[in-house]
Amino acid sequence: MTDNDKKKILVVDDEINVCKSIRQAILAETHEVDMALSGEEALGLDEENNYDMVITDLMMPGISGVDLLTSLKAARPGIIVIMVTGYPTIKTAVQSIKIGAFDYIPKPFTPDELRGLVARAFREADSKKASEEVEPPLLPKGLFLMQGHAWLRREKENLVTIGAVYELLRNIENITEIALIPENKYVFQGEACARITDIKGHVHRIWSPATGRVSMTNRDVIKDLDLVKKDPYGKGWLLKIEATDLAKDLQDLTSS
Amino acid sequence: MSRKPWFNTYLNLPLRRKFILSFLVVICLGGILTLTLGTRLEHRTIFNLAQSKVRHDLASAWMVYHEKLNDIRDIVRSNVLRESLQHLIVIDDRETLFKYLERVNKDFGLDVLTLTDATGKVLIRSAQSAPWGDDRSQDPLVARAIKGETVAATHIIPMKELIKENKALADQVYLKIIPTPKSAPTAEEYIEDGMMLMAAAPIYNEEQTLLGCLYGGILLNQNYEIVDRVKDIVFKGEKYQGREIGSATIFQYDLRISTNVKREDGGRAIGTRVSQEVKQAVLQEGKPWIDRAFVVNEWYITAYEPIKNVNEEIVGILYVGMLEKPYIDLRNKVMLTFTGVAIVCVIILLVVLSFITSSIIRPLQDMVKATNKIARGDLNHRVGIEFQDEVGQLAQSFNSMTDELKKANAKLVQWGKTLEKRVEQRTQELQNMQNYMIQSEKMASLGKMAAGVAHEINNPLTSILINAHLLMEKTDKNSSPYESLNLIAEETTRCSDIVKGLLEFSRQSPPQKNLVNINHIISHIISILENQMGFQNITIQKKLGENLPAIEVDENKIKQVFWNLMINAGEAMPEGGLLIITSRISSTQQNLEIAFKDTGVGIKKENMSKLFDPFFTTKSGGTGLGLAVIYGIVQQHGGKIDVQSEVSKGSTFIISLPLQSTG
Repeated sequence: MTDNDKKKILVVDDEINVCKSIRQAILAETHEVDMALSGEEALGLDEENNYDMVITDLMMPGISGVDLLTSLKAARPGIIVIMVTGYPTIKTAVQSIKIGAFDYIPKPFTPDELRGLVARAFREADSKKASEEVEPPLLPKGLFLMQGHAWLRREKENLVTIGAVYELLRNIENITEIALIPENKYVFQGEACARITDIKGHVHRIWSPATGRVSMTNRDVIKDLDLVKKDPYGKGWLLKIEATDLAKDLQDLTSS
Repeated sequence: MSRKPWFNTYLNLPLRRKFILSFLVVICLGGILTLTLGTRLEHRTIFNLAQSKVRHDLASAWMVYHEKLNDIRDIVRSNVLRESLQHLIVIDDRETLFKYLERVNKDFGLDVLTLTDATGKVLIRSAQSAPWGDDRSQDPLVARAIKGETVAATHIIPMKELIKENKALADQVYLKIIPTPKSAPTAEEYIEDGMMLMAAAPIYNEEQTLLGCLYGGILLNQNYEIVDRVKDIVFKGEKYQGREIGSATIFQYDLRISTNVKREDGGRAIGTRVSQEVKQAVLQEGKPWIDRAFVVNEWYITAYEPIKNVNEEIVGILYVGMLEKPYIDLRNKVMLTFTGVAIVCVIILLVVLSFITSSIIRPLQDMVKATNKIARGDLNHRVGIEFQDEVGQLAQSFNSMTDELKKANAKLVQWGKTLEKRVEQRTQELQNMQNYMIQSEKMASLGKMAAGVAHEINNPLTSILINAHLLMEKTDKNSSPYESLNLIAEETTRCSDIVKGLLEFSRQSPPQKNLVNINHIISHIISILENQMGFQNITIQKKLGENLPAIEVDENKIKQVFWNLMINAGEAMPEGGLLIITSRISSTQQNLEIAFKDTGVGIKKENMSKLFDPFFTTKSGGTGLGLAVIYGIVQQHGGKIDVQSEVSKGSTFIISLPLQSTG
């Protein structure tokens, strides 16, 4: 693999240790990872290097993560941006997906989680370039979407069904494990409600599009690991949640 | 409304006196009225009775009087019809005629018997050596007889005529007039005329030629035959206190000429005169008189009626009278009896009244006493109920009122007692509330702080977690370093969870409760702690209750509570010691109690109240958040924390969690 084939990644965080740790986690033969300690520096480096992917912290002094995302996307819409966030800004993270971030990952995270996300992001970019090789399942109407990530269907009153969208699932190779948040657990919007591990050991977290108590989990998807990909909007649903503040949650989602 | 002073005095009298006084006044007024009316009525009744009796008696007297007059007429009449007399007149045999008249006179007891011729000249008189030949035709009786009429009447005959008729009669007429207190004054001392009952009848021959007339009569003056006969027949000789009860009198004009009214010396009261008013009424006005009258010297109930002569002229009075005294005495006796009975009745009434008023007033007096007693605070006192009348009902109402009063009083006393307790309780509640408020305020500031700090903490945690994992990737999975790295990774995750927990707490997130076995959590934490450096010299003893029910809690939060308490205990025993962890059901069966008892340095008294304050710490490098977070979590679970501690002996933290989750 030549240097040109290597993917160029920029890690942006105002804390050098965090930058280093993230770099260590994703450093591989296929990746070239640079670091920037501020949004300004990042924009400068990107002009030079035209990064394939930028992993940026949301809360930074000066140019914030969202500002950086907006600028990068304005300059090169094809750039992949992954947001890293501390817990208090998860709301902003959800919104940033709406703006155009590929995904976000809350601190702290394991290397596998980040690697999974990065791999998924590149697969997505590759598949877009290669155009549609497989006909994707039709997206049913009446769903609320966390763009490229999860869907929500209102069942009755506050009961909602949650699942992962096909765009996310198609980028996960050979699922080896699906873990769901247990029943009766309380889950916040933007928190992980499911965890999918692939053959490479990468962990892909599915963010809950709603806040509430888990009333039912889909055991079929745990038994039949292919079910989510086969029928992501039907039998491949993940959880049912008794939402506590659905109206507010829906504001941050898009309607299909 | 203004009252007279005496009426006010009356109104202020005690009830009993008021009763008796009122009754007395009513009885006295009634008595006097009844007595007065009764006396009047009785007097009138008795007097009317007496009057009607005396009227009746007068009628009887008249009968006697007329009987006598009729006797005389019959005698005269029977003789004029005799042929022998007619014959003797015709033959003018004076001697035989005299003998005849003398015999008739003697037989029938007449005082006068005289024969005249047809012209009224006296032929012969029955009296011895009486004159004859005088003309008697002027005499009203004779005048009528010679006209052919038989007449009988009372007749006043002048003294000179009387002497002609019968000299002996002159003495009988002679009477001295005795003055009496009420009689009309008079100048005369003697009377000149006599009063007679006289009858005259014509004598005819066979050819009905008038031969003459025969007249005869008796002198009434001092002749007591009629009056005594009246007394005998009418009054039957009854006496009252030695006096004749009844009397009869014949008056010649106003002078008593025949009477059985007695003088004081016992003699007949002839010669006395009638009272002025009777004289006026009877003699001058010709009316009967029936009334009280003063007769001689006594009050009588009397009846007077005029006696008339043949020409209907009033010539005298017939009188009957009854002594008034018996009637007066009767009246007085009745009155006395009446009054006596009245007085006895009043006395009896007063006694009865006194009894009745007592029976009415005594309960009232009792009630007054009872009221006073109750007013002085003796609420157990009751009024005795004797009867079911108004007073009894009043007593009953009064008793039930006292009952209510007693109940109310008891309640008040009870209130007074409980009030203190309540005040204490309330004060305690307020104190607790205040403490809670202060604690809540501290928690809120803690939340704000946590939110600010979380971001900064997450950065190092991210580095640790990533690097631990990177190292683990390069280490043999079965090696000791791998296990250590894994512990680092796990605990880093726990750190991030704690931060998350703090943030959730600051966002008022509800605890994520599941049914959890508390003993499992405790055991899990102990298994980790036992290997730590800080716990090398510490013996951890588990006294976990068997068969404890799983309780609904937020496992992570409760884990955090236990974790913090155990680390705290370890830090309190730097030289080593004993940590006893006990789980049990509380004595109230309501809670699950988990006690962490150490043998550490203990807590100073002055620090006890600040123990759960955020950022309060006695440890160098401590955050002072541990116990504050615990406090918040336990409160979120509806539980509580108790601390017992003694300096240099150790502390015990007891967590109580409800068996039945409240949220």
